[in-house]
Amino acid sequence: MTRASNDSERPALSGAEGRLIGRVTRCSIQGFAGGIRMTEPDLPAFGALCRAPAQGGRSQVIGLIYEISIEDDDLARQLAVSDVPQEEVRLDQQFVRPIPIEILALSLGYHNGQGYIYDLPPQPPNTLADIHSLLPNEVRQFTASLAFLPLVLAAPQLPTDSLLAATFRLAAQARPESERRAFLVSAGRECARLLSGDLGRVNNLVRSLQG
Amino acid sequence: MSLDLQQVLPQVEHLGQEAARRAAEASVRLPRLAQGLLDAARLERRELERRLAAAPSTAHPAGPTDESVDARFPLPPHPPRLRLLAADGSQVYPDRHAAAFFYIVNIGSIELLQGSGRPPQIATRSNLHFDQDDLQDTRGLPVDTHLINARRDAAELAELARLVEAPIHPEGHRDDASGGRSEAPAASAPLGAGSVEGPTLALLDNGLLLWAASQEQKASRPDVQRVLDEYLAALDLLRDSGAALAGYISRPRGANVVDLVEAAAGEAGGTRPGLTDRLLFGRHLEAFTRSARFRHPAKINHEFAARGHQIQFFYLHTGAQDGVARVEIPLWVAEDASRMAMVHAGIVEQCRLTGVPYPLVRAHELALVGQDDRRALDRLVQAALIRHGISGLASQKAQTKRWTGRRRRHRL
Repeated sequence: MTRASNDSERPALSGAEGRLIGRVTRCSIQGFAGGIRMTEPDLPAFGALCRAPAQGGRSQVIGLIYEISIEDDDLARQLAVSDVPQEEVRLDQQFVRPIPIEILALSLGYHNGQGYIYDLPPQPPNTLADIHSLLPNEVRQFTASLAFLPLVLAAPQLPTDSLLAATFRLAAQARPESERRAFLVSAGRECARLLSGDLGRVNNLVRSLQG
Repeated sequence: MSLDLQQVLPQVEHLGQEAARRAAEASVRLPRLAQGLLDAARLERRELERRLAAAPSTAHPAGPTDESVDARFPLPPHPPRLRLLAADGSQVYPDRHAAAFFYIVNIGSIELLQGSGRPPQIATRSNLHFDQDDLQDTRGLPVDTHLINARRDAAELAELARLVEAPIHPEGHRDDASGGRSEAPAASAPLGAGSVEGPTLALLDNGLLLWAASQEQKASRPDVQRVLDEYLAALDLLRDSGAALAGYISRPRGANVVDLVEAAAGEAGGTRPGLTDRLLFGRHLEAFTRSARFRHPAKINHEFAARGHQIQFFYLHTGAQDGVARVEIPLWVAEDASRMAMVHAGIVEQCRLTGVPYPLVRAHELALVGQDDRRALDRLVQAALIRHGISGLASQKAQTKRWTGRRRRHRL
């Protein structure tokens, strides 16, 4: 278990909340799934961080979004096969009508009310717990330590390299411009250290980050 | 044990047989009925009216209009731009076993500018009714479902009247003074009240006569009369706006024109299982054509007519799977050729996508109060009651239903 190491990295979660991006539908210690209906412009991003309350609200599990799927929708399917395309209807479906989405998140740690713990949470979030995206300051605070990397690298059957590259890019964007490059360099170095036995993956990750 | 499918199975089989028998009987009688429509058209108008007046009280024959009863009208051209408005409503009835006694009327609406290349705009208006005036009728009895339905219908029409005058504002999410919530994508181009483009067609997913008021014993009640007045006032606004208004009834079960044909032939009042106007016009109409207009025979239509809103209807072959729909229109649409053309062409065009007009599909979706919404509302109500020192518990009976209603399936 790794704890945030100094006071500046041990913040209480802010009262403000990021966007609601789902409600927990199933969960385990290692991750959780959430569903919601939302419009396309509101979709969360692959590699983004989110949180969901656990232990009766005493902790917040931090999740890394590694899959976003749009669930089957009978009306959209009917319109897709229609041979009478109507631009306004297509725009309605794409931008106005909430679509049922499911997100899958990997647990990277939790906030216990005092600071971030970079390990699996003691309990998963409960069913129907609100999943909120992390605010930029929360992203900065959580990614101030890269102690979550082993949990990502150890996750089986995930597109780990692309996922980490996306996470690093989003975490860099949450920082002032002057700090972004330094963050990306330090994240790349830490990955290189952890993946020292696998140069191919290190190369992949660096290429993704450069892209 | 819940539904015993084994027990029901023979009854289901019998249901299928019975439906097939009625369909066969109807198909035998249908050619004669179709011929009867042509014969009725050949009668002198005065003679036709005389025979309709002589029909037995069990028959409800449609009234003829200035159009020959067997007339068919081809699909008129669709305007290059058409502003479509649709509203639909749903309700949550009061539940004496809930933590508090209230009901909800939820109205969903959509404004779609066909031909504009812009995304439509949507709105939802949710109203919680909990005042004593809302929960009791004028006799002091608990509000009944008919009155709630009437208030919902009036709210749907009022929403259309509001939209005709004030388009849904496009500036993202917004709560307006009337308590509604509007949503539009930030990318959409601004559309102010002065920039409404094209003629307007307003659609309701229902007939246009207020159903609760059309039941004679209820129409005399002051609370129903009040709703009727609001409804007629909304019709005034819609008429004066220049918009066309239509009530769309999918898979109609009415037989007013069948009654007319039988009365015209002097055969009204007999049994005719399964024979409906929809079957008759399924034979009479080709795809995309409409029938003649007819006067709605309901007695309440006299009151509508007295206010300039006599309700007429016609049948329309939409070309979609369900075929023939019934479309109800007020007199001021019926007598205006351009508004009639807009109703005919606009509905057919919107049915091409989804079988029923697309804006109605979306308005229904926006109006629907699902089980999740209901549970979330119940939790909010309970919390509010507890904050104010009142027990927020549902009745024991409601709790036991909740315990047994959501059975878990244990997987091995």
